[in-house]
Amino acid sequence: MNTNEDDFFVGYIDNVSSKTKKTVKNFVILGLLALITIAVVFAFTQNTFKNSSFELTTNTKIMGVYHEMPYPMLKVKTAENTFKNILLIGFGKYSANPFLKKIREEASELSGSMLSIEGNLIYYNGKTLLQITSDEKVTLIEKANAKRLPKIKSLVNDMELTGEIVDPKCYFGVMKPGKGKIHRSCAVLCISGGIPPVLATTDENNISEYYLITDQKGDPINKKILPYVGKPSLVTGNVVKIEDWYQLRIDVSSIKELNLPSRIY
Amino acid sequence: MGVNYQTVLWNKNKKIYDKWIGLSMLIYLLCFIGITIITNSGTSPETLIIRAFGTLAIALLHIILAIGPLARLNTRFLPLLYNRRHLGVSMFLAALVHGGFSMFQFHALGNTNPIYAIFTSNMDYGSLTNFPFQVLGFFALIILFLMAATSHDFWLKNLSPKIWKRLHMMVYFAYALIILHIFLGAFQQQPSIASFLVLGLGFITIASLHLITGFKETKTDKTKTQLIEDGWEYVCDIDEIPEDRAKIFIVDKERIAVFKYDNKLSAISNVCKHQGGPLGEGKVIDGCVTCPWHGYQYLPHNGQSPPPFTEKVATYRLKNDNNKIYVLPEALAEGTEVAPVTY
Repeated sequence: MNTNEDDFFVGYIDNVSSKTKKTVKNFVILGLLALITIAVVFAFTQNTFKNSSFELTTNTKIMGVYHEMPYPMLKVKTAENTFKNILLIGFGKYSANPFLKKIREEASELSGSMLSIEGNLIYYNGKTLLQITSDEKVTLIEKANAKRLPKIKSLVNDMELTGEIVDPKCYFGVMKPGKGKIHRSCAVLCISGGIPPVLATTDENNISEYYLITDQKGDPINKKILPYVGKPSLVTGNVVKIEDWYQLRIDVSSIKELNLPSRIY
Repeated sequence: MGVNYQTVLWNKNKKIYDKWIGLSMLIYLLCFIGITIITNSGTSPETLIIRAFGTLAIALLHIILAIGPLARLNTRFLPLLYNRRHLGVSMFLAALVHGGFSMFQFHALGNTNPIYAIFTSNMDYGSLTNFPFQVLGFFALIILFLMAATSHDFWLKNLSPKIWKRLHMMVYFAYALIILHIFLGAFQQQPSIASFLVLGLGFITIASLHLITGFKETKTDKTKTQLIEDGWEYVCDIDEIPEDRAKIFIVDKERIAVFKYDNKLSAISNVCKHQGGPLGEGKVIDGCVTCPWHGYQYLPHNGQSPPPFTEKVATYRLKNDNNKIYVLPEALAEGTEVAPVTY
């Protein structure tokens, strides 16, 4: 087949007119420039990521006193008379409880026991969490001793706090960002799976504080709080302190969704 | 054109086309990932993948949507149309990486089925601010999947060109869903004027190209033929049709193409049996009307594809009266032999 030197292109015929070649070449150059521009704009307009960490590929073994008030934690000695309470959570969107079932059966009383747990550390802004991926990695070191348990100190009653209810696993490092609208579905599933809800607040000086949320009796809340997760809310409750963690004891029905407009709507 | 189905009927032009698709995607990903790692190093690999491939997919979709109208406005863009389906499948793969990673990251490894979770983990369907934007992306991905999965000519033939075309026109619905997905998701969480402008400019470009093309088509469709006695309609003078080319007219509400070649004139349906391409914008090559979109060919005097191909289009009777061309609007059965008018 032959084609004259005109602008009619047939895909299975090799010869292409010089004008067509030039047009296609210009389109490809423009297209590439447009793609690079789009990549530059989208890349540069991302919010700054937090310096939170999730050591997915590194296993760390820590030893400490297990307690659940009401959420599983490990009280770890970091220096003489200095302790840090590490929040324990499970693999995926689950709490630590399924991974502690085996050790519970071994020990008559788990709270106050000295445990060694190997898992993946998650940490940000002074808070540390440990992801447990297997019940085989939880070892009983010493039997329960109530004297080792942290003391609960009541601080303020009926305190009003504004912030976002987040799942701590994602917020403190697994996901970036681990808050806001894009992450809401994930936070709902995490908290629904037993990961404790946390109220993340930020004051006018951009200083953040975090509160583990329980019901008024200090028992876990998961399902009831789901409608409020990932939205700006006004939460009222009694604040207690468990060493380096605050706990906010609330009546879920008192949470007020703040109809704060998002930044563009 | 092919008699038997093959995964891809490779030729030189398709290979060049695909190399540029691959190279362009690579350049985009390297730019986005490189800039993010250098300037915003706190990112996580998952977020980087989700964002790089999501933004790549939307950028490619704009290019894909621009090619169709550009090729209608200027035939020099036809090479871009020729292998557009490979660009479409590549865009779907980028969207799939974005959607797949997002689904795994945000909805999997929990106590709920991930797909069920997309629809139920955020139930604020009545709120614009809190609307579950993931649902919009999910439906867009389903449409893109259906299009990519049926992009082969096997499906075109078996679904029938009409249904296939309707299915593939859903790309515009997918585009609308994706725009909403972005505005109610990413743009809401991290608004930026520059990103907003990029997407706005993209939308304006696509909409303008389609409007201009639509206006041009409408102009053609409004070209009136003149009814004269015995049902013959005057369409144009012979001199108005370039050699080996055609003019398009509407007769009896159908578009027909009147071709001029070798001192002869023939009229056939304007609609190619392959993908509905405009035969009247094609050319007579080696005695065959050749569709501008994918090179499907028909003999002008009977509307039949040359053997071994089997496609057929309707033909029309013409007459020449003192260099004035008249057409009988009644379409003859597809493939009906009509002696060409000579001049």
